[in-house]
Amino acid sequence: MIERIGGIIISAGRHTYRMLSLLSQTCFWIAVGPFKRKFPKPEGVFSQMVFAGVDSLIIAFFVALFTGIVIAMQSAYQLSRFGANIYVAPMVSIGLARELGPVLTSLVVAGRVGAAIAAELGTMKVTEQIEALETMALNPVRFLVVPRFLALVVMLPCLVVFSDIIGIFGGFLVGVFNLHLNPYRYITFSFQFMLWKDVWTGLVKSAVFAMVISMIGCYMGLNTKGGAEGVGKSTTSSVVTSFILIILFDCILTGIFYFAKQ
Amino acid sequence: MNLKFENKGETMVCRIDGDVDINTSPSIKKLFDKALAKKAAKMVVNLQGVNYVDSSGLATLVEILKNMRQYGGKLKLSNLSPKIKSLFDITKLDKLFEIASDEEEAIASFI
Amino acid sequence: MMEKDVVIKAENVTKRFGERVILNGISLEVCRGETFVIMGGSGCGKSTLLRHLIGALPPDSGKVYLLGKDLASLNEDEMDRVKKKIGMCFQSAALFDSMTVGENVSLPLREHTRLETHVIETVVKMKLELVGLRGFEGLMPSQLSGGMRKRVGLARAIAMDPEIMFYDEPTAGLDPIVAGVIDKLILDLSKKLSITSVVVTHDMKSVFSIADRVAMLYEGKALAVGAPDEIKKSENPMVRQFISGSPDGPIRFFQQKDDYLEHLMK
Repeated sequence: MIERIGGIIISAGRHTYRMLSLLSQTCFWIAVGPFKRKFPKPEGVFSQMVFAGVDSLIIAFFVALFTGIVIAMQSAYQLSRFGANIYVAPMVSIGLARELGPVLTSLVVAGRVGAAIAAELGTMKVTEQIEALETMALNPVRFLVVPRFLALVVMLPCLVVFSDIIGIFGGFLVGVFNLHLNPYRYITFSFQFMLWKDVWTGLVKSAVFAMVISMIGCYMGLNTKGGAEGVGKSTTSSVVTSFILIILFDCILTGIFYFAKQ
Repeated sequence: MNLKFENKGETMVCRIDGDVDINTSPSIKKLFDKALAKKAAKMVVNLQGVNYVDSSGLATLVEILKNMRQYGGKLKLSNLSPKIKSLFDITKLDKLFEIASDEEEAIASFI
Repeated sequence: MMEKDVVIKAENVTKRFGERVILNGISLEVCRGETFVIMGGSGCGKSTLLRHLIGALPPDSGKVYLLGKDLASLNEDEMDRVKKKIGMCFQSAALFDSMTVGENVSLPLREHTRLETHVIETVVKMKLELVGLRGFEGLMPSQLSGGMRKRVGLARAIAMDPEIMFYDEPTAGLDPIVAGVIDKLILDLSKKLSITSVVVTHDMKSVFSIADRVAMLYEGKALAVGAPDEIKKSENPMVRQFISGSPDGPIRFFQQKDDYLEHLMK
């Protein structure tokens, strides 16, 4: 029993170490690449950005819209007892900007983009394509990981801003059509109580989540073993691991922002 | 790698020294583009001092030929070593380029 | 006899995967311009040896020299410089399936050289002409047959005009005619462009049509090295068995350790 727990801890430690080394290699290529004429081609990064960002707009739209509607209804349930219905507006906007926008969007993107990255790189690994890159003196980290990493780190915060706006609109629908609040007052209240900090902490979170998603996806993909079954396994574990780590980092970052204020 | 352009009458002669390979081809292409900016009508490329040409070098020569043909210019090659000649044969480029045994013959063959 | 110019040298290379010894002290030399064939049964360590020769796997002990450089002593940049001078043709072709045929072949040129796009396109046309696939630039790998994919892989491997070509089972899984075409291509490349070739295969027909020298591998050791004719005349019973392809002989097909009947009754 102890042996097994020990084994799990050791393997978790080894994975963490190797993942950090992948992250450091990625950062190395981002920092050094431009000087060695070895930066990924803009078209490559661009097509990844389209895949990670633009193609995620529809799913992000629906998730954010319904989340906004749900928060508005849930908070109205409590606030209506105090006759403070108008406070639904800041409730929705701040809740989304600080927490639900970044986290839910990241979870969606982890399921869609992270899984796709793991599956694509995993397939490349089991069909010798990664090895082919290496024999052509093309570093797989520079060639495959860096564009995906950059694309996600840029696009996820953009997606989060989009989700925040859509979510606030969802709350607005409930506020105006169900709670019969004045639309103009609803909008003013939405932004009146919102601080810059609410927005940028959300964006910092989403950038960190983007790193988590791209790193886990690439790591799982590049370490795929054993044919089609292996690709399936690494895709699944990339999604599961990303989900856990996103929530974990959310907790850590919220803690930091919370205690830093005092 | 060393490249010299010289005008012999109406013909522009280019002498290349050194290898024409992946490392030198890009700069050779640029030098030719500059030299051909005035649209020289006749050009002889003397490969006497070249002992190795790789496929990027061949492709560069093809590009130069293509550019010259677009404005009606003529390009000839001369002084190919047997090794380079056989490379042209393998890649079937001997049918594309006019190849003369030496510079004088190449210049004389322009009418 | 020409003076020997050794471009690949393996010294006592040993490799273990866990308990299993894959390579058991292999030494060999390949000279410039020759076609060297490594043959042997499945699982005898042929492909593993090839991966050691190109520096994709480090040996547990022993040394590999490629173009005169000890691979273990090179840093990443030096290794990249060596890698640009070698080409590798994979068993599964290993084409990048998100790229077209043309993009696959031009990738090393686009990444490693400052050649203009037009020049690169011309090189791609020339390489595809060599493998008989000019005009297929715009297709995706998934639209090609197995033999065509292998030929595209070959065109990609020679895009940078390598000094040494490595082939991993180039004719495996192909029909006899396509296999013959591939063999002829290998022969053409090595004879006309004087590229050194190392071929891993168990296809006897192609061994004797392309090889200058042959090494036969068995259980991680080089059993016999020599010209194809010498190998054909070899007295070694294992070599004889491999060439004739007979199931009976010193090479055991059955790899189980315990007795079958005993195992059944357990």
